[in-house]
Amino acid sequence: MITLAWRNVWRNFRRSLITIASMACGLAAIMFGQSMIKSVQYQLVEKATGSITGHIQIQHRNIKEYKFPDRYIDDPDAVEAVLKTQAGIKQFGRRIHMTGLIASPKTSMGALISAVQPEREKDITTMASYITRGVFLGKDPKAIVMGDRMATKLDLRLGEKVVVMAQAEDGSMGAEAFRLAGVFHTGSETFDGQIVYLPVKAMQDLLVVGNRVNHFVIALNDIGQTDVIAQELREKLAGQPLQVLRWKDVDHEIVGVQRFQNALLDIVLMVVFAIVALGVLNTLLMSLFERVREFGVLMAIGARPSWVMKLVLIESFLLGLVGTVIGLVIGSLMIAYFGRNGLHLPLGDALSYFIPFPDVIYMRYEWSSHAFAAGSVLVVSLLAAIAPSLRACRLRPAEALRHV
Amino acid sequence: MFDGGTHPHPLIEVRHVTKVYKSGTKVSALSGLSLEFQSGEFTAIAGPSGSGKSTLLNLIGTLDAPTHGEIFHGGRKVTGLTPEELADFRLRHLGFIFQAYNLIPVLSAVENTEYPLVLQKVPAHERRARAMEALRSVGLESLAHRRPDALSGGQQQRVAVARSMVHRPMVVLADEPTANLDSKTAASLLDLMQGLNREQGLTFIFSSHDPAVLSRATRVVHIHDGKLADSPAPDGVA
Ligand SMILES: Nc1ncnc2c1ncn2[C@@H]1O[C@H](COP(=O)(O)OP(=O)(O)OP(=O)(O)O)[C@@H](O)[C@H]1O
Ligand SMILES: [Mg+2]
Repeated sequence: MITLAWRNVWRNFRRSLITIASMACGLAAIMFGQSMIKSVQYQLVEKATGSITGHIQIQHRNIKEYKFPDRYIDDPDAVEAVLKTQAGIKQFGRRIHMTGLIASPKTSMGALISAVQPEREKDITTMASYITRGVFLGKDPKAIVMGDRMATKLDLRLGEKVVVMAQAEDGSMGAEAFRLAGVFHTGSETFDGQIVYLPVKAMQDLLVVGNRVNHFVIALNDIGQTDVIAQELREKLAGQPLQVLRWKDVDHEIVGVQRFQNALLDIVLMVVFAIVALGVLNTLLMSLFERVREFGVLMAIGARPSWVMKLVLIESFLLGLVGTVIGLVIGSLMIAYFGRNGLHLPLGDALSYFIPFPDVIYMRYEWSSHAFAAGSVLVVSLLAAIAPSLRACRLRPAEALRHV
Repeated sequence: MFDGGTHPHPLIEVRHVTKVYKSGTKVSALSGLSLEFQSGEFTAIAGPSGSGKSTLLNLIGTLDAPTHGEIFHGGRKVTGLTPEELADFRLRHLGFIFQAYNLIPVLSAVENTEYPLVLQKVPAHERRARAMEALRSVGLESLAHRRPDALSGGQQQRVAVARSMVHRPMVVLADEPTANLDSKTAASLLDLMQGLNREQGLTFIFSSHDPAVLSRATRVVHIHDGKLADSPAPDGVA
């Protein structure tokens, strides 16, 4: 029966080939889309967590805008003690993020101030790697680092004096002089034009907040552990007025973007499946119509109606199987190619406005998604065969034999 | 419901069978036909075009159901069985030869021949041996692995004969088996069928309106307008 079905699949070679090709291309396109979107998402998360957010943050409990906590952690040493004992943490750091004013001898502008622990920040974010002139924060307690756009706007050269002003808790303005130690270029307008880095110690002095900070940033060894470790930390810090935030909580825009992309992918998936289904249906109905008499012969020599139905289903399944296998091969090769050589995405330019984002992404396999897509193509090819197979099995032998 | 039980059942019994086709206008193809066939017969159904020969053979072959009346095979009533049961019945007990050969185009001669055995789930080596034997008896052993499109009409019809008998049916039903063949090929096909009838006792019921073909039959049933014309068969019209 399988032999018969297999040969029937190939008897109209061109038609089957077209159907198989449409299935294979559809599947390959889906795989490509899945891989592209997942790779972008992976990069997005990687870059967002690796350039500023970290994987987990600890902030005061009553904070609305996670990116700029307006309250301080009163007992950072207690938090530090907990973090030191937590497994799975690569590095953590004390930070103050707030908005302030940056003034050069010539002009001034608003900026986002990221006050960090210099020696730890290198293990948490990749900002040090974007330095193009000078050095990142180090031993110098009064060093400041900024992007090249901002340095140009402020007309600053390395070593020149910069005054940083920010509002303390009590509403008074604090000011302090720093020296431009380094300039970075990330390609992101936000980073290059709006963010400055300086040592958290100096910021604490400027704001007169003692040893308090407004958040802890944590980098994990494995981003996949985020939920687990966040939960563990939540339990360990339960007694304190703190909240443990995952990167998706802080960067909820990313999650929104991911949802949007996934929805888009689902729609494309459905459209492709619809096309595949219609193609298979068309092929089967045509081959059915041409073979009515043959089904009559098979029934006459003793094939049960259910057997004929099974034959049609198997033919469709084989068609789907061949299409799926070829599609998997084509899709894998495409992903492998762009995995090695990278894919230039104009999307990178758009995203890099907000965070440092490469315009070339290296595609990755997403086997769980690919397997789902492949399985769906198979299922669709079977579903499309149900109506034709029912028609075949309802044929009356005498009538089928009269068919020309 | 049998008449008695004293004498053995005829091979096939057609009782008061009427067939009305209802496609648009009603056509009464058979009206109240009663007929018996015995095992070992080599019977022709004769009649002009449209007289109901194909209809009768289809009903006997359970490919279609009568509008009224009943059909018995070996005393067993087949009218009213489900399509699945009928398929199983045909698979065990009936063989078919068609006017248009009707081999499966993607299967070779021997694969076509053995298909009834495939459906019967006979083990592969046994069915192949039996199919080859059937092909030998129709003289086509050497062409066993050709596909139908590489065989002549006469050769294809011989394969069809082999397929119709490979599973040793009670009866082989053939609707105008020679109509697509030239007279010489037709004659040799009839020789073949006759030989199988004599040597293996295979029962044949075939239809034709060709006098040369009818002359070969041991019994000829004449039908006209869906009714028996004067026929040598002893059992009369109801
Ligand atoms: N499926 C059908 N639907 C409607 N009418 C039919 C159908 N099959 C046969 N008929 C009609 O029934 C009558 C008997 O047809 P049948 O095919 O049995 O005749 P036949 O003796 O086999 O003729 P021929 O020698 O031309 O093959 C004819 O009038 C035919 O038109
Ligand atoms: Mg006819």
